[in-house]
Amino acid sequence: MDPEFIRNFSIIAHIDHGKSTLADRLLEVTGALSQREMMEQVLDSMDLERERGITIKAHAVRLNYRADDGNDYQLNLIDTPGHVDFSYEVSRSLQACEGALLVIDASQGVEAQTLANTYLALHHNLEIIPVINKIDLPSAEPERIREQIETVIGLDAKDAVLASAKQGTGVHEILEAIVHLVPQPKGSPDAPLRALIFDSWFDSYRGVIILVRVLDGRLHKGQKIRLWSNGQVYEVDGLGYQAPKSTPCDELATGEVGFLFANIKTVSDAKIGDTITDHENPAAEPLPGFEEIKAMVFAGLYPVESHEHGLLRDALEKLRLNDSAFSFEPENSVALGFGFRCGFLGLLHLEIVQERLEREFNIDLITTAPGVRYLVTTTSGEIVEVHNPTKFPDPSEIKQIEEPIIAATVITREEYLGGILKLLEEKRGTQKKFEYIGGGRVMLTYELPLNEIVLDFYDRLKSASRGYASLDYHLSGHRVSPLVKLDVLVAGEPVDALTIIVHKEFAYERGKDLIARLRKLIPRQMFEVALQAAIGNKIVARETISALRKNVLAKCYGGDISRKRKLLEKQKEGKKRMKRVGRVEIPQEAFLAVLKVGQTEEGE
Amino acid sequence: MVTSVAGVYLSYPFCAQKCTYCNFASGVFPRELERSYVHALQAELRAHPWEWGPQTVYLGGGTPSILEIDVLRTLLELIPGAPWAEATLEAAPGTVTPERARGWVECGVNRVSLGVQSFVETEIRRTGRKHTAQTVKDEIGILQEAGIGNINIDLIAGLSGQTEASWRESLDGIERLAPPHVSVYMLEVDEDSRLGKEMLLGGVRYGAAETPGDDQTAAFYETAVDRLSSLGIPRYEISNFARPGHESLHNLKYWKLEPYAGFGADAHSFDGATRRQNPESVNAYLAGEDSETTPAHLDEERFFVGLRLAAGIHPAPEDWLRFAAPIRRFVDAGLLETENGMLRLTNRGVLLSNEVFQEFLTP
Repeated sequence: MDPEFIRNFSIIAHIDHGKSTLADRLLEVTGALSQREMMEQVLDSMDLERERGITIKAHAVRLNYRADDGNDYQLNLIDTPGHVDFSYEVSRSLQACEGALLVIDASQGVEAQTLANTYLALHHNLEIIPVINKIDLPSAEPERIREQIETVIGLDAKDAVLASAKQGTGVHEILEAIVHLVPQPKGSPDAPLRALIFDSWFDSYRGVIILVRVLDGRLHKGQKIRLWSNGQVYEVDGLGYQAPKSTPCDELATGEVGFLFANIKTVSDAKIGDTITDHENPAAEPLPGFEEIKAMVFAGLYPVESHEHGLLRDALEKLRLNDSAFSFEPENSVALGFGFRCGFLGLLHLEIVQERLEREFNIDLITTAPGVRYLVTTTSGEIVEVHNPTKFPDPSEIKQIEEPIIAATVITREEYLGGILKLLEEKRGTQKKFEYIGGGRVMLTYELPLNEIVLDFYDRLKSASRGYASLDYHLSGHRVSPLVKLDVLVAGEPVDALTIIVHKEFAYERGKDLIARLRKLIPRQMFEVALQAAIGNKIVARETISALRKNVLAKCYGGDISRKRKLLEKQKEGKKRMKRVGRVEIPQEAFLAVLKVGQTEEGE
Repeated sequence: MVTSVAGVYLSYPFCAQKCTYCNFASGVFPRELERSYVHALQAELRAHPWEWGPQTVYLGGGTPSILEIDVLRTLLELIPGAPWAEATLEAAPGTVTPERARGWVECGVNRVSLGVQSFVETEIRRTGRKHTAQTVKDEIGILQEAGIGNINIDLIAGLSGQTEASWRESLDGIERLAPPHVSVYMLEVDEDSRLGKEMLLGGVRYGAAETPGDDQTAAFYETAVDRLSSLGIPRYEISNFARPGHESLHNLKYWKLEPYAGFGADAHSFDGATRRQNPESVNAYLAGEDSETTPAHLDEERFFVGLRLAAGIHPAPEDWLRFAAPIRRFVDAGLLETENGMLRLTNRGVLLSNEVFQEFLTP
């Protein structure tokens, strides 16, 4: 289609401000889907996405719209993930658009999390169309929100669309605004092909399916294409777009969005942000902004049932087909047996993988505390990368340890500053910038060790700000820090899976906290169990779990033997979900106790 | 199918009031329902083929001691084999009168189990009951007068407000009355009982906050084991104590995997191969819902049921082999002991018996 009639846009919204409803409405109004079909909609199609109200994978849906000017337009709605773990993916999706709808709840107003993505969109020069949604609610104050958008975000909101996605009001105006305000795609149809990969997934019939936006030139069936980052050449087997049903086509022209498959075997070959060009007639430059995604957070995944190790490996391999950001390698723990050390983009990513393994593959998992990658310089001058605390060299062989540092941006309201500054301090942060950004808001820029973020930071930030803080971060380098390895001994035996790396100054307190937490999580056993935290040979904390005194069924209930059996079976089943380490049965949650260390007992 | 001497259980799930710790399908129901229930029970007894005459009869509740004698008679007349070696009626203190006691004997009852639970007034009140230690004393006199000397007293360890001293008081009560049989149950707070709900929600009416913890209840139980043993009433099953020769013949059938037939709501039957459970609620029973049958797993039950007996069990050679590892582990941990081919729980093992029994279930 002529780029004049193409509009590519995404939707930026805080969770629960009505993004999905609006997207559904747009699909319905443009006739893409009937209401009934909407139930099994493509948008947020993973169960997990629905339940959590988040988008993990990007989607692109083509809508055909006849505008009031009488012309037929092709509108491509590009739905993006909405979490800091996936900020790179978000930025690539935004790069595929020329505009964005900024959806704000008419009574809740601008929420902090929306800001980061809005700024990201502005950074990519997207035209932002403010939409004040849920105006049907009695508590709606569209005028106040309009003002807020202007003062807080700094956007002109006088033409903001007032809408109720639920009732369908304003949907037509939104479509017209997209047509008139979002610029048509630039780019030259005659230039050599440059297409941006903004997501990909594995399909067992067609291989890797790539979502692309054609910036220059055109893509057609049978074309020999080259992936810029690895130089691999493929022949395009098929092209199409989602409307939202997969619809094949012969060509994707400049400005268009769609998918292609070209017999690519793994998603790691089709990297997000990479440029596709024509093999015979390549472009001179790739598209800007490509980065290799690198895991930032690492954790061990172990099957509760050791014989499920093979099953877990198969499951990880299958997941990886669809998720190139995630990596794994075999690992062996004295306590937990055979498992895998896995790398993730962040904690949410870890949780998602973990939940999918349990849900889709039915594997009971033990996840060890997440950690980061350290650079250890040994006394012999060698630098080793260590992302497993148990693999740390002996302290006598360590010259120095460097830990990854991030530059973090926190946007919040003034009233929550106290708690947040305290938290950042506690997490060994260094303040770089402190700015008032209007409307009672503050933007903080801090340097923090990544290690501190993976330990419960996000949850605590949320509670310190009542959910009214957004966090955005990127890796900014490494820093030498006095770190030590803290071991945990259960009944005298070191449990390697509970080992953590901590800052020397906090080691004693962390050890105490961790042991106290474990004491609550490990059920009483048939004998007394000592819990100890140690740095090297020095015990820094100790607690005792007294022996279980009583587990007996007294009453006979008129010969009800089945009741007794059921109870015994239930107890036995409960134990299956625990891991026997030495003589002690440790529940799965205990291995994550490490996560919460340092958290005050608030709200427990 | 029945090859050894069997028992009969009759369920009468009606009470004058519901105890606060009770999670049974029993309770207080309208009179009309009671009448329909008796009819249904009679019909079930009549329909039974009775290919054998039972050795024992047990009327459990609920509170069967509130049954009118005439009604009780019509029920017991439907059971062949009288006079039975043992016919027990569960009675709530406060319901025993000379007339009733005489009536019970006439119907063939020769053993009464009294749900005393405690001799301490504050504890009794919190369970929702109304009797006193004096009631119990008087009623035992009435029973003996009527010719029923085979009496069991139930005690509960772990009642709300119970202390070491008050528990001693209850054991003193046993010593004074010197019954031939005592049952000591450790309170299992079920979340479905009123007390259980209160414990979960933090109320005060039934004394949830003062309900002893597991450790203390275990200590009470151990005190009782020692005390009763010194009174000549040793433990023969986890919750049951008797002067030698006064063990409950009926209850022993459960632990020895002997057959029994149950009648009424939530009654259980075992014919040597299959276990059957009648509908749990009175209404479901009256509606004629089907009973549930499951095959018995004797190889496992021999352990998790049989090991409840103080005498222990005599495992077959292949069972010694099959369970060699857990037996070894529990013997080492001091929860099981072996002697002359017998396997039994130690005193400590009794309190942790569920931990032991689990290992004898096939995964």
